[in-house]
Amino acid sequence: MYLTTSLILAAMAASFALASWKLKSPELSMAIAAVVGALAGGLGFPTRILVEGLFTNLDLAILFVCASVFVNVYSYTGAMNAVTRKLVRSVDSKWLLLVFMAIFMLIPGALTGAGSVSIFVVGTLVSTVIRYMGLSEKKAVAFVFVFAILSAAAPPINLWTMLMTAQANMPYVGFTKLLALPILLVGAFTIVYLGWGAKRESKEKILAELPEAPEGMNWFRILCPLAVLAGLILLSLYLPFSVPVLGLPLMFVLATIVAVLCNPRKATIKDYYELIGRTMEQVFPLVATVISVGALVNVIAATGVRGLIGITFVTLPIAWIYLTALLFCPFAQGALSYGSAIILGTPLIFLFNARGMNTTVVAAALSLIFPIGDCLPPSRIVGRISCETVGYAGSYMSFLKQIALPVLLLGALALAMLVAPNSFSFLK
Amino acid sequence: MNIKATLSNPKARAGLKAAFLALALLLAFLAGREFHELRHYEETVVSAPGLTERKMLSDYLASLEGTWMDSPVFVYDSGVPGGSVFVMGNVHPYEPATSLAAYIIMENIKVSKGKVFVLPQGNRSASTTGMLANAYPKFFSVPTSFGAKKYRLGDRGTNPLDQWPDPFTYVNYPSRQNLAYQDIRNMNRTYPGRPDGTLTERAAYAVMELIRREKIDLAIDMHEASLMYPVVGTYVAHDRSFDLAMMAAMTLTAGSFDMKCESSPKGLRGLSHREWGDYSDTLAVLMETPEPFIDRVVGPMTEQLFTEGKDEFLDVAARHGLTYVPYSYETGAPLWYRCGRHLSGALEAVAQMGAFFPEKEVLVEWPGYEELKEHDCGYFLHDPGKADPKLVFKQ
Repeated sequence: MYLTTSLILAAMAASFALASWKLKSPELSMAIAAVVGALAGGLGFPTRILVEGLFTNLDLAILFVCASVFVNVYSYTGAMNAVTRKLVRSVDSKWLLLVFMAIFMLIPGALTGAGSVSIFVVGTLVSTVIRYMGLSEKKAVAFVFVFAILSAAAPPINLWTMLMTAQANMPYVGFTKLLALPILLVGAFTIVYLGWGAKRESKEKILAELPEAPEGMNWFRILCPLAVLAGLILLSLYLPFSVPVLGLPLMFVLATIVAVLCNPRKATIKDYYELIGRTMEQVFPLVATVISVGALVNVIAATGVRGLIGITFVTLPIAWIYLTALLFCPFAQGALSYGSAIILGTPLIFLFNARGMNTTVVAAALSLIFPIGDCLPPSRIVGRISCETVGYAGSYMSFLKQIALPVLLLGALALAMLVAPNSFSFLK
Repeated sequence: MNIKATLSNPKARAGLKAAFLALALLLAFLAGREFHELRHYEETVVSAPGLTERKMLSDYLASLEGTWMDSPVFVYDSGVPGGSVFVMGNVHPYEPATSLAAYIIMENIKVSKGKVFVLPQGNRSASTTGMLANAYPKFFSVPTSFGAKKYRLGDRGTNPLDQWPDPFTYVNYPSRQNLAYQDIRNMNRTYPGRPDGTLTERAAYAVMELIRREKIDLAIDMHEASLMYPVVGTYVAHDRSFDLAMMAAMTLTAGSFDMKCESSPKGLRGLSHREWGDYSDTLAVLMETPEPFIDRVVGPMTEQLFTEGKDEFLDVAARHGLTYVPYSYETGAPLWYRCGRHLSGALEAVAQMGAFFPEKEVLVEWPGYEELKEHDCGYFLHDPGKADPKLVFKQ
């Protein structure tokens, strides 16, 4: 079975590489690799498996669409410019503003478990403000990405931990300090690392360059859509038995409606229709990616390639697991998204449990490693959204180089927790 | 060919769009037929003559009527005063040896003292959809003397067609424990349920009501587990039922097959072995059998892997000491073995309840591990074509 599944994996990898080179489209390349994998695995053309796979990340795709519509409508109303102007006018210290921006980035992801939500909600604002603080475009995209993945890993909602604990029948308790401390350390380092040497432009120059806020835009109009969104998220978290399950996409839709109502400028239905059309064009590649990944993952499972990857990793000697965890886990995240926690994370928890190691610390450590993969192919979801939100025109490789140091620090801290989990159990 | 260059030509762009739309519609139609087949396929069961009543979960919570979570409960009352037993399968329909075990119970049961309630499809909705990202086959078949009998292979959680969307985190009622978002559709995380909650919470509440109203003495929840999961091949028992489960495990281990016993953790909420016991007077026991099919390191997802349980990767994992029950490729973990474990596991728990609490004694017979080892599962299923139509049920 090793030989057969290895050959299928090789066929899929080769067809993905060839299709990427020829078509310049990762989404189509993934679909082609899935079909080639199915053919190589003797499944023929498994329509149901391919189409079923398309539904795997449907919720995520809907979330991306709805969140993008919200952000673009909110920006269109002028609220984003207004709040940027107010922030620049009232806070003088570069470091204080960077800390504020880091906190802004951390909150939405920490509450929802999705770093992409942080980028969608505050990414544009944060990148605009930190650019005026003197950070280059490359550093700005690194700032947005690093804090997005930190927000996803931050308590109270860490989806990787939740998925692993659900599979391992562990309660989701005792993770707050274990997750928060490394995130605070990496966050502080990132602010200093990216902010060091950056020279803030003069307040007058920034305000002169920033577009004027539309007439009539005030704090109520600025905060109302954000307050509705935050309120709905907090209600579902803290009053779950009193409110129906809305789901994040509908929350974004409701916040969008409020943003429309708070718009001080006159806008027609046609204006909004065109805005939504532009948003769909903008978000379509991302949606195509997460949808295509689902089909690929289904074929990987159907053909046994998933098993090959899983068994290869979990049967490595423990020292090799430590050495390769920072490679296997992030790349699994790049391919499988949150499925990585189930496929690699849960067996590792059982493995470490059998060796008498503290599984709460192990789960926390793995939950800090998986998000790193959100910048890796084939999906590289958070990496792509970060680049698109900031409007980064440089190469993707240059972006990866810029985030390398903070991400390696996060990986090193997580690895230390993985190697000596019992030494960190005091943080439970 | 550069796709971006091609798309810059309006005519080529329109042509490509039309071609992709046609392809998408064709794939949607072909796949839709298969989804529809799984959604609407009805399994057939021939009840033993001792059936005294057929209820529905909606008899215990009216709002379930007409939903895909409403599911039949089969009652076998001896008429002789004694205890009462509740056996449930397919709470997780990607573990369908549990519903097959329930069907084998229904088709062969003889009760001479007390009452037995059987709910073969704990989460009927979840049995009507495939498990995303796992590429499971739609069905599995059991060979019988009258031909192959086909059964659904479903999901772990309620079908999103019946309950959607998921929240970004699930908060269990009433413990307020945070659980993974998709656990809001996992019936075995939603106990004790809510009468006005989500569809899954309502079904969980209906099961709790069944246990409370019917004064169930022993409630058994059948599951299957991956072999790399520590609780595999185990009774998980609530505090009050721990002694009887431990005695049952020792008896089975001495006589038939290895069975472990664990106490239900108090800090882990929403599970049957914890909440059934906490929110009713029943003795709650959950059983797990080894199912290679749901391990994450196994090879191709085939019906054969499901029915025979033979996998080379899992064999490697076992040789590395990563499985929590003995496993080898040669023996696998076939369907008869998994059903047999459940059948004998349930029988032994019932027997131990009678030994510990004589006033709750239930005298019941159905095939056990040894009989299935000798004859396999199909031997104990009856031909619906020759059975009394009143005893033939489709679900």
